[in-house]
Amino acid sequence: MKVSLFLTCLADVVYPASVGKSTVEILERFGCEVDFPKKQTCCGQPAFNSGYHRETKEVAKHMINVFKDAEYVVSPSGSCTTMLHEYVHLFEDELEWKQKAEDLKNKSYELTQFLVDVLNVKDVGAKLEVKATYHTSCHMTRLLGVKTAPITLLKNVEGLKYTELPNKEQCCGFGGTFSVKMLPISEQMVDEKVQHITETDAEVLIGADLGCLMNIGGRINRQGKPIKVMHIAEVLNSR
Amino acid sequence: MGIKIGEEKFFERVEKGINNDFMRKAVAGAQERMQGRRLDSISTLGNWEEWRNLAEEIRQHTLENLDFYLEQLTENVIKNGGNVFFAETAEDANDYIKSVVSKKNAKKIIKSKSMVTEEISMNQALESIGCEVIETDLGEWILQLDDHDPPSHIVVPALHKNKEQIRETFSEKRGYNKSSDPKELALFARETLRKDFLEGEVGITGCNFAVAESGSISLVTNEGNARLATTIPKTQITVMGMERIVPTWEELDILISMLARSAVGQKLTSYVTGLTGPKQKGDVDGPEEFHLVIVDNGRSKILGTQFQSALQCIRCAACINVCPVYRHVGGHSYGSIYPGPIGAVLNPLLGDYDEYKELPYASSLCAACTDVCPVKIPLHNLLIEHRRVMVENEGKAPFAEKLAMKGYAFAASTPTVYNMGTKTAPSVMGPYTKNGFISDGPGPVKLWTDIRDLPELSKGKDKFRTWFENRDKGGN
Amino acid sequence: MTIGTAYNKDTFLDNIAKSLGRERKTIGVERPKWKHRPQYEVFKDLGQDELLDELEDQCGRIHTVCKRTQLTNLPHIVKEVIEELGGKSIVSWKDPRFEEYQLVEVFNEFANMDDNKFHVWDPEIGEENIKIAERANIGITFSDITLAESGTVVLFSEKGKGRSVSLLPATYIAIIPKSTIVPRMTQAATKIHQMSQAGRIPSCINFISGPSNSADIELNLVVGVHGPIKATYIIVEDI
Repeated sequence: MKVSLFLTCLADVVYPASVGKSTVEILERFGCEVDFPKKQTCCGQPAFNSGYHRETKEVAKHMINVFKDAEYVVSPSGSCTTMLHEYVHLFEDELEWKQKAEDLKNKSYELTQFLVDVLNVKDVGAKLEVKATYHTSCHMTRLLGVKTAPITLLKNVEGLKYTELPNKEQCCGFGGTFSVKMLPISEQMVDEKVQHITETDAEVLIGADLGCLMNIGGRINRQGKPIKVMHIAEVLNSR
Repeated sequence: MGIKIGEEKFFERVEKGINNDFMRKAVAGAQERMQGRRLDSISTLGNWEEWRNLAEEIRQHTLENLDFYLEQLTENVIKNGGNVFFAETAEDANDYIKSVVSKKNAKKIIKSKSMVTEEISMNQALESIGCEVIETDLGEWILQLDDHDPPSHIVVPALHKNKEQIRETFSEKRGYNKSSDPKELALFARETLRKDFLEGEVGITGCNFAVAESGSISLVTNEGNARLATTIPKTQITVMGMERIVPTWEELDILISMLARSAVGQKLTSYVTGLTGPKQKGDVDGPEEFHLVIVDNGRSKILGTQFQSALQCIRCAACINVCPVYRHVGGHSYGSIYPGPIGAVLNPLLGDYDEYKELPYASSLCAACTDVCPVKIPLHNLLIEHRRVMVENEGKAPFAEKLAMKGYAFAASTPTVYNMGTKTAPSVMGPYTKNGFISDGPGPVKLWTDIRDLPELSKGKDKFRTWFENRDKGGN
Repeated sequence: MTIGTAYNKDTFLDNIAKSLGRERKTIGVERPKWKHRPQYEVFKDLGQDELLDELEDQCGRIHTVCKRTQLTNLPHIVKEVIEELGGKSIVSWKDPRFEEYQLVEVFNEFANMDDNKFHVWDPEIGEENIKIAERANIGITFSDITLAESGTVVLFSEKGKGRSVSLLPATYIAIIPKSTIVPRMTQAATKIHQMSQAGRIPSCINFISGPSNSADIELNLVVGVHGPIKATYIIVEDI
């Protein structure tokens, strides 16, 4: 099976390369042939969510072209995958592009969704001795509709003690530009999230979206709490 | 007046909200209880998504044919012996209501809870001609006694007040001398308001839904105040937003069943009352005269636009009860009688973009609202649409943001520029990085690092692209 | 201002049609056959006995006392409930069912005791009825339709069936013939829809589910605000 990786701009610029690396290695472990179209950039969400839809279309057209020959597009982000799906609505008035957007939507998946729904994998054979909790990011859960796949996979990680996060479906306060435009509100939201994470006694907070993880992890770090933040791809690639 | 409450600016209101510990605790507690009760109550309905699909279909069909159903409603109200007044503006509505009240020489008006009368500032209009208007919903009455403190929630208007504050208000304004036990407070309200009910000359209500086929209006309460307001006074005036209508009783069933669950987690509220015209021959109680005031007040400007689905709203407040922003800032922060996600959508439409320019951005777009809405209003999408209108049509976007977005779009659709950017950024950020984090960033990063750290940017060998390329070349 | 008049209708509705971008519709709109019909599925396969169980169960959630009795024992139960609620003064509908269910004797007996007062709604004396109801301790009515799911009695107003009886007294008793129990509001709505198609419906239809209550003060539930403080349902096995 041929899979094209959509890395996302965050995984491209922040942090070491481990999120992308892990994603590639997991996919390969289950027989996928992974390629990385080098011309890929960003899904366009910053512009889209800020109301710059003309600009978003430029980005979307570029991304549609980048992945036009892909068999599957897999991304370590629920939110960015949702944005790829959103292109269909963006091109309501341009039928030719709408059709192309539809094609991209039909073949693009978030990583855990792809593992569970397409590859039918429930146990990736990972091993990690930690007490962990999981943040269900909003777009992945509510818009992409991926609720159980990450939990299924995490529960099968050997040695991982999973505790459910209180108010788990509540937003962490990232929201892209919201995190700076509405700083005082975002601060209250991320504080409550960190509070709930602390209550679980977890050593590691796992998530499937780097945006949320940057926000929560950044706040945890600022508060000097001994909680580590990991992307789910890194966890699933631990052995 | 109108939908606007208070004179403070948005971020001042937000700060006030965030610093109000009692309110925040009350709201957080209320949200959790309401969500639990809602989930529990929808479980008996079977497939909730089917119900949402049906409700959406009903609301969409009704809005698409709104003129037809309002006409049918009017015919039937008239057949039943009632009057119908169509009010394009708040002023038109108030003028008519004042004229009805004046003709009756009425001084004492009893009112059951209604958002649309808040929206048109009806109380003030009636007070200006010397009437006493008494709110009878317990929450609304508390706010009215407390020098017209504005509501902070559509369903639980006095959610931001604690029982001690309520006790003080009662004792200061009405000589109450008992405890702050909610039971005693409510009993005092019962006894005081019962006297008012018996003396009320005109009863004014809102309208949860009008039923076109029979010319009926339905009212939903737990306290029974809407029943009292329509049982004792000789004249009844019902004020409805023009979109609050269903074709027949069969659709009323669906929307009421979903309203009660979404609003308060009940299968039905204690009282659901269907009123059809003034009382009939031989009836002892009920009004002799019935007036239905149908209000536009900006709604027709929403109809036929990309925001039309906002008119599907049945005012259940489920979106408010799940909103993480509302949770931390409270209802007054929205600067309108309509708070929460639906408020953020409606206020720029019923008011304007200048007054409510921040509201579409006061959302992390987490879509909890969209997910919970019983009539499937795509609330978070409508907020994005507001942002688009402000950027593209209203020219309200700041120049620097426009420039940044144009730059972003250029970079994100031109790989060479994008790659140059991602390569340069780490060296720009380098001097600010300590122990793998940036705690006091420059320029646009400054705001982010005001409250949280930023992970360092990857460069050189650490970059995914480098790793993948080397791998292709046989490295690892 | 003459009664039975519509003001400003045409300009208002023309404006709506304009907003919708079409000519005004005055005829020819058919209510569509809705694609989804989940309301008919609720309690679809339950028999009358099972519906009764559901009703009783729901009463527990809405602070309503629920008693079941055979027809023969009904007078005894009614007497018992009146005593439990503190007796003194009662107002009832003028409803032939009280005679049919042999309750007149109980009421007469009650009226003849001590300082008790018993009033049957009497259209002839007009507003005096309301004053009596306002002072009464107990209001008694039959249920016209009863909804198992929500624990609701549906009351159709009429000459002898004043609205105040179920509203103004301190407590309320509903007599529920088992034959009136239907699954949910759907069945009552269908009936009212048919009545409406056939002619006029009652000027007031009340769906009552338990006693009056409020949660407006710190979300504390207080039972008994403007309407009755207590409610008792007496279910009679009439079938």
